[in-house]
Amino acid sequence: MTLAERIAAFRDIAEEWLRGLYHGLINHPAYEKIENEAEDIEDAFMLACFPDAFGIPSPVSYYTAELLPYLEDEFEAWERRMWDRGSLLERKGSQYHF
Amino acid sequence: MRKFVFFGGKGGVGKTTVSSAYAYKCANAGLRTLVVSTDPAHSTSDVFDQQFDDSPKPVDGIENLDAMELDPEEEVSRHLQGIKRSLSSQVSPAMVNEIDRQVEMAHQTPGAYEAALFDRFVDVMRESDEYDRVVFDTSPTGGTLRLLSLPEFLEGWAERLLAKRKQSVRLFERAAIGGREPRRMREGDPVIAQLEERRDRFALAGELLREEAAFFLVVNPDELSIRETKRAISSLDDATLDVRGLVVNKLTPEPDDDENGRGARFLRERVRTERERLNTLREEFDKPVVAEIVTRIAEVKGDLLVEVAAEIDVEVRPEPVE
Repeated sequence: MTLAERIAAFRDIAEEWLRGLYHGLINHPAYEKIENEAEDIEDAFMLACFPDAFGIPSPVSYYTAELLPYLEDEFEAWERRMWDRGSLLERKGSQYHF
Repeated sequence: MRKFVFFGGKGGVGKTTVSSAYAYKCANAGLRTLVVSTDPAHSTSDVFDQQFDDSPKPVDGIENLDAMELDPEEEVSRHLQGIKRSLSSQVSPAMVNEIDRQVEMAHQTPGAYEAALFDRFVDVMRESDEYDRVVFDTSPTGGTLRLLSLPEFLEGWAERLLAKRKQSVRLFERAAIGGREPRRMREGDPVIAQLEERRDRFALAGELLREEAAFFLVVNPDELSIRETKRAISSLDDATLDVRGLVVNKLTPEPDDDENGRGARFLRERVRTERERLNTLREEFDKPVVAEIVTRIAEVKGDLLVEVAAEIDVEVRPEPVE
């Protein structure tokens, strides 16, 4: 193996590691954070639409019921999140990778 | 007069009589008129001695006049059926029950009845092209006022929901870094489309009510009715709706001067207190009294309706819409 080849092989490995590190440290937590934020807003949206799921009467749930057929996944995930969530702090805390 | 005329007031003051009489007056003047009853008690059928339902039907013996009675109950179940149909085509069988429960619940909340009534109101106003005048005989004050102040409130509500939804969808799109498929997309999102349609509908309703509707309050010469009317006027004013005047109904007839029996004395006394109240109405309210209708011995229908119609001094000719 010539010197040039060895250098090229080393650079390949270094590049793969760097990409992995970048993804793990920067990229992945970033979109996860954004996605979590989006979920939080979606939770607020769902709560505004269907407060009667938690026993709060709403004058508009008659209208928002029209949205339900399109909110299948959201609705299920939302209910699960709402019932499971220990506290807001816990949810916010889990967004950070310690 | 504007195209949509609403008669409101406390329960039992004679809204149905007055609105039927006014509708008759309009029809008689050659305007294609529709009288719409939104009162669940539905006494329009009694006035015209004829059964009406959810779609306009010509009134026997009176030219140019159609009548209909809104049934919110039916509208609620129609709405429910519609949603269930799209549920079964959209949602996986595993989730249908879960969501179905939510839909059922939404249709039993106290607001559902009002929402359905409101929808029908808007439908009737939107599909009224063939009529020159639509007269609404509304249900008693509280319900109707809440109903008519709904559009602005609901429009704002839909607007806020829409903003939230757009925000979360935008974030989901942003989270899709490096060519991943975003979980939700703005393009073709049925929730956004649905909310936008609702918002536009509320906006249209608000516009029609503000620009093309006139309101009259029917009032009896008694303390309670007057006080309620005062409240009604201020909330209609707050909603920037156009209150055109007061219709005083059920005034006591005055006895002849030479009569002096117990009945005559009673009537005279009664007329005196009513006159005071009429004065209060004239002085304390900044809306004109457009009609003073004396109590009839029999139910107001047939010939009596014609008589009462003559007593209502409300403009009939259509107003050009600016």
